[in-house]
Amino acid sequence: MTEHERALALQGHLRTLGRRSLLRGAGLGLASLALGRIARGDEGEQAQGLHHAPRARRVVHLFQSGGPSQLELFDHKPLLQERNGEELPDSVRRGQRLTGMSGNQASLPLAGAQFQFARHGESGAWMSELVPHTAAIADDLCIVRTVVTEAINHDPAATFLLTGSQIAGRPSMGAWLSYGLGTMNGDLPVFCVLVTKGKGGQPLYKRLWGSGFLSARHQGVQLRAGPDPVLYLNDPPGLDRATRRRMLDALREMHEDDAQRSGDVAPLDRIAQAELAFRLQSSVPEVADLSDEPDATFELYGEDARNPGTYAANCVLARRLIERDVRFVQLFHRGWDQHGSLPGAIRTQCRETDRASAALVTDLKRRGLLDDTLVVWGGEFGRTCYCQGKLTPTNYGRDHHPRCASVWMAGGGVRAGSVYGETDEFGYNIVRDPVHVHDLHATILHLLGVDHERLVHRHQGRRFRLTDVHGEVVEALVG
Amino acid sequence: MTQPSPSWLVPVVFIALGIGGSGRLALGEERGDRPPVDFATQVRPLLSDRCFQCHGPDEGSREADLRLDLRSSATEDRGGYAAVLPHEAAESELVFRIAADDPDERMPPVESGLSLDAEEIALLSRWIDEGAAYAGHWAFERPERAAPPAVGDEGWPRDSLDRFILAELEAAQVLPAQPADRATLLRRVSLDLTGLPPTLAELDAFEVDTAPDAYERVVDRLLASTAHAERLAADWLDVARYADTFGYQSDVNMNVWPWRDWVLDAFEENLPYDDFVTQQLAGDLIPDATRDTRLATTFNRLHRQTNEGGSVEEEFRVEYVSDRVETMAAAFLGLTMGCARCHDHKFDSFTQREFYSFSSFFDDIDESGLYSHFTGSVPTPALDLPTQAQERELAELEEAVVAAEQALAGFDVLPRRGVPAAGRFSFEPEAVTANAVEGGPAAVLVDAPVAVEGSRGQGLRLSGENAVAFPGLGDFHRSDPFSIGLWLNMPAFERAVVIHRTKSWTDSGSRGYQLLVEEGRLVVALVHFWPGDAIAIRTRETFPTGEWHHVAFTYDGSSRASGLHLYLDGEPAECEVVRDHLTRTIRGGSIGNLAIGSRFRDKGYKDGLVDEVTLHGRELCAEEAAVLAKEGVVEGGAPDPAADAAGETLRAARARRDVLRDRIRQIMTMAEAPDLPAARRTAHLLHRGVYSERRDPVEPGMPDCLPTLGFETPRDRLDLARWITHPDHPLTARVQVDRLWRTVFSVGLLPRPEDIGSQSPPPRHRALIDTLARDFIESGWDCRALLRRLVLSATYRQASVASEGAIAADPDNELFSRARRGRRPAEMIRDGALHAAGLLASTRGGPSVFPYEPPGLWQQKCGKRYPTGRGDSLRRRSLYTFWKRTSPPPAMALFDVPAREVCAVARPSTVSPLQVLTLWNDPQFVEAAVRVAASAVEATSDDAGRIEHLMRALTSHAPTEREARELGALLTAQREAYRSDVDAARTLAAFDLERFVHGEATPTDGADLSEEDAVERAATAVVASALLGLDATLTRR
Repeated sequence: MTEHERALALQGHLRTLGRRSLLRGAGLGLASLALGRIARGDEGEQAQGLHHAPRARRVVHLFQSGGPSQLELFDHKPLLQERNGEELPDSVRRGQRLTGMSGNQASLPLAGAQFQFARHGESGAWMSELVPHTAAIADDLCIVRTVVTEAINHDPAATFLLTGSQIAGRPSMGAWLSYGLGTMNGDLPVFCVLVTKGKGGQPLYKRLWGSGFLSARHQGVQLRAGPDPVLYLNDPPGLDRATRRRMLDALREMHEDDAQRSGDVAPLDRIAQAELAFRLQSSVPEVADLSDEPDATFELYGEDARNPGTYAANCVLARRLIERDVRFVQLFHRGWDQHGSLPGAIRTQCRETDRASAALVTDLKRRGLLDDTLVVWGGEFGRTCYCQGKLTPTNYGRDHHPRCASVWMAGGGVRAGSVYGETDEFGYNIVRDPVHVHDLHATILHLLGVDHERLVHRHQGRRFRLTDVHGEVVEALVG
Repeated sequence: MTQPSPSWLVPVVFIALGIGGSGRLALGEERGDRPPVDFATQVRPLLSDRCFQCHGPDEGSREADLRLDLRSSATEDRGGYAAVLPHEAAESELVFRIAADDPDERMPPVESGLSLDAEEIALLSRWIDEGAAYAGHWAFERPERAAPPAVGDEGWPRDSLDRFILAELEAAQVLPAQPADRATLLRRVSLDLTGLPPTLAELDAFEVDTAPDAYERVVDRLLASTAHAERLAADWLDVARYADTFGYQSDVNMNVWPWRDWVLDAFEENLPYDDFVTQQLAGDLIPDATRDTRLATTFNRLHRQTNEGGSVEEEFRVEYVSDRVETMAAAFLGLTMGCARCHDHKFDSFTQREFYSFSSFFDDIDESGLYSHFTGSVPTPALDLPTQAQERELAELEEAVVAAEQALAGFDVLPRRGVPAAGRFSFEPEAVTANAVEGGPAAVLVDAPVAVEGSRGQGLRLSGENAVAFPGLGDFHRSDPFSIGLWLNMPAFERAVVIHRTKSWTDSGSRGYQLLVEEGRLVVALVHFWPGDAIAIRTRETFPTGEWHHVAFTYDGSSRASGLHLYLDGEPAECEVVRDHLTRTIRGGSIGNLAIGSRFRDKGYKDGLVDEVTLHGRELCAEEAAVLAKEGVVEGGAPDPAADAAGETLRAARARRDVLRDRIRQIMTMAEAPDLPAARRTAHLLHRGVYSERRDPVEPGMPDCLPTLGFETPRDRLDLARWITHPDHPLTARVQVDRLWRTVFSVGLLPRPEDIGSQSPPPRHRALIDTLARDFIESGWDCRALLRRLVLSATYRQASVASEGAIAADPDNELFSRARRGRRPAEMIRDGALHAAGLLASTRGGPSVFPYEPPGLWQQKCGKRYPTGRGDSLRRRSLYTFWKRTSPPPAMALFDVPAREVCAVARPSTVSPLQVLTLWNDPQFVEAAVRVAASAVEATSDDAGRIEHLMRALTSHAPTEREARELGALLTAQREAYRSDVDAARTLAAFDLERFVHGEATPTDGADLSEEDAVERAATAVVASALLGLDATLTRR
């Protein structure tokens, strides 16, 4: 039964109770109950439909935590190799702020990428040898080299990218989508979060997938590798499924009785949620169990994908969730914060992510899902063109750089096979087509059929948006 | 693919504003005697919503120099016309524009997406025709007491507040609900006041206590309980954004639970609300400040803090100050100030300047924007919280120090012996790193400083990244006198690290001692935590560049700035005191070697020269400093053994005191910064809220839209607190009355508790809240008395089941025609289950605890292991659960407890499948089900009796017939099921949380249970588990 059908059934059920007026009177209209989403308090402001025809219906966000270096991956700067070791010219830096980690260095030497770049696909996009699989799908990608953020430290920057504000307390992107678009599959969470297991790096925080001032229903649900993929999913020892079913049946009777006696529909909502919980107990393990995947899957995503909790396994899981119409899947992969020993460390990061990221796009395409599924890859900021710490012939590091970062998108109505925006020869400033984080959000919402200025929630006497009071849709990114 | 469910996208025009508007207007017309349009309730919200964006208080976005929030501007003659011409709507530009057909003329402009409908236009026209009267926002005017209205049914009211409610009900022709039955009332009041359901014994006792004052006695018992204080404290923790960790990314423990215990004390003692406010805002400044009142000010330090590497200190300090303002405004005034931080408030009458005027009250402490990366130093200002024993011992040790200081003062020479003299380095070519002091450790050159011509012979040039290090030297305590001399020849520096024994730059909050150049001047400092726990002096003159000079600094071990001396070429250098408050150790935190030239993440001594470094483990006197500069060596005259002994006695006395001092717990509080020129801060307006965009300086002050109440030129936080708690303040009492009303009624009197600014319509029960506010103030801000009044009222005692008529006439229960239903908060759900099962530990206060949470949540976010507790700490009340901001306790977060990253004055209340899973499968609830079932099995052998026991324990009610039937059938079915799987029954019946969470459960658990016992307990536990998810268990009724 679909959510819609279930809702109709519930309505019918209520009608037979013959107490519609009473139920309405309890302050909960049938329509809101039909949505399975009860309006209370601030969420009482509601309304109507998408703003325009969507290009994307689902999103996979491959968040690369720590700030991947664009200069080693997508933003080819031969000048840095030529002038390796020379001081960053003041005319380029223009006194813009640096972090306290490199800001006090006696010298800021330019550091050239120590990796080979080549053009790929018909678009001729430059990519390095570190990402051969991503390079192979160049013509599916829309690469943005000019994403600008406002924060220079991880926490504020990640919070900004994922919630639209550096200030804590705002809903995350997925929570906004859950709030604005609702579910397409009542048996699974609307917003799923997958974190690569066992990776060190910058800490993660619940707020990055939290619901902020929206109801807790909209927060991301973390699916974890292991026996308990969703918190508290498994029945306790000594209590089996049949028992749970019997419990539920008894609860249903009691709640209906209660609703009849009190004229309050809350017990009916509660039993509906309990039924959903019961279904989650089977739907989640089913989706999280990759054992029914054919060998071909692991040939595509890599053998790593057989190991639950790896980035590759999470990419397969993301595809399974998308197949089941989960609205928003967000992967977190830590370890991109390469202040030092960058060449070795970025190689590891790419080995862990390149193949599976590309495989996900390819897989979705083969299944006909890429057309209306948007895949977004990127981190919270870029990295500096100068070396942090000591520059040696084989080793260097890069500090945080908010002024330009590279992001790629695929599917979901973006312009495939395109490269957007240009940075200067040093990869330091943008010379053409900046895309502010607010613009990126506005564009993602636009692809989903949502006008970012009209997805609002009133809180503390103010209308809040994912894009605050900013953001422009970047039409050039839309195919 | 399924259809997406209809979305909840919100159109730009908010129809939900619900004020003024059509209904009321139409009614008036029908009656033909319509009352005049009310500016405050009908016009201002409309103008605010549609017009203030461009014609409001925000100077930055104002168009056409027109303000519609001010009558003077709206009616101003604009060259033959005015936006508003009183009594002449037809001649008013405003009406012309809002009614214009031409899109170029129309207001609001088409592109704004805003519009006014015909009725709204008519309303504005009528308001102008009636004279366009302006009035202040209702909430900004002093609340006045209203006479309780006359009512028809004189028998119903129990308190004058009931008359206000009843009068409205009668006007709407609604009868109040019947009184709740005794069990419902006892459950409700117990949960509302203590967060815990009644025990079976309490239910029984109340059932049979037919005395007229039975309920009143229950209320008094509940109000006097510790549980009551705990229940109120739990709510206040949200407001105060209380957490046990700093938040942001490293999210280290901030050890602030003593403040939480202060809150418990305050509620338990029923501290008057004006004191509650004053002590938290300014407990350090009140005339009779005590340690407790200072502790209260931790309230202002509970915001998040970061120590992320490379952060800009000032950027985050500004964040903290702003958070204090926003929290103060939301908590005590019910105002949202956050928007005004970046721009003038578009809807309320706050300007950005006023935000920064407020923020300058909170800008007065000696703090850093970053907490320590490498040490556990408590960010300053910090308050010592000694135990009584420590306090006594400390007094004795201080006395000994004073005595030893006096003894030494009797000598006219300085002690010569002290800690062994340590080093003399000349950097000569034959042995560059040699130490001329016999047996002294050699220096180490790090990354090749270059040999150059020195002040005498050879010296060294530093690059800013390299160093001369002195391993094994200079490991001084703050009680050790010491002296360092060196020749320096440097270029002009804005900042440079010359010599130091620290870990890194102050962005890491590092400890140690150092000689730096700042703005060209020499600065010597000993630091525990910069800036609030350190001593530092700075030369008045800039250091001469490009030539060799001898620099020496000496320290007497006193932890006082007066014990620091700087000499330039053997002459005392004129210095100013930068900081003079060192109370804790200057060691620890993986401190590195004493070194010259550079340190981690700081500006090095780039292209600076150094030569002839000397290190003494004693304080050199002025004559010796002169000799050192001239001769390069201090020979030391004849020792005075008595002076040496006195010096050693003093050093040892200080060391003993310091060891104790370092062991005393500290907590962040508010304390005014020292009155030193170097510590003085001026608050500025920050353009767009950005820390580096300073504009005009601002003075402390109150917003113009609120009365000054005699505080025209407030000076400090104490003035602010006195203004807030002034009996004539329009907001404070209303906000608190609303909060207390919400505490027991679960819905407030104000429509939006987080914002009673001008976007907020007046409350439905304005006369009631205003009257209660006056009563509250005149009662001496007595919270307990007000709560008592509320729960004793007839309004409170109503049943939550409503008649059809009441539902038709009062669908949203705005009139309080019945008791409110709603899900209980997270704490009550868990605590209630543990309490019903007899598991809840009653320990009060103390460090936060680590009850069960699913393994791996911390690990995955930050690599740390969650230290799951044992014994009682697994089963304490939820307000004691350790709150890690970046990974809050998951079960509480699922039940809508806010993340505590920012102030939250109200929680959403949702229902989700994940909550259901928690109630079913969280081992804490599993144990509760098993234990409450065991007590039912023990209590009676009869199924019906057991079911009644469970129902009453968990819902406070006996089952209805249908419930009894359903649960009986479930029990029977489970008994059958477990008889055929006794192992499963044993496993469930023997479930023990502590053994389970620590991996100690074994397959033999429960082996000691007879088959019969195991089956009975397990089957009954299933019934209990079902009841934990029952709506009646979870909701207020």
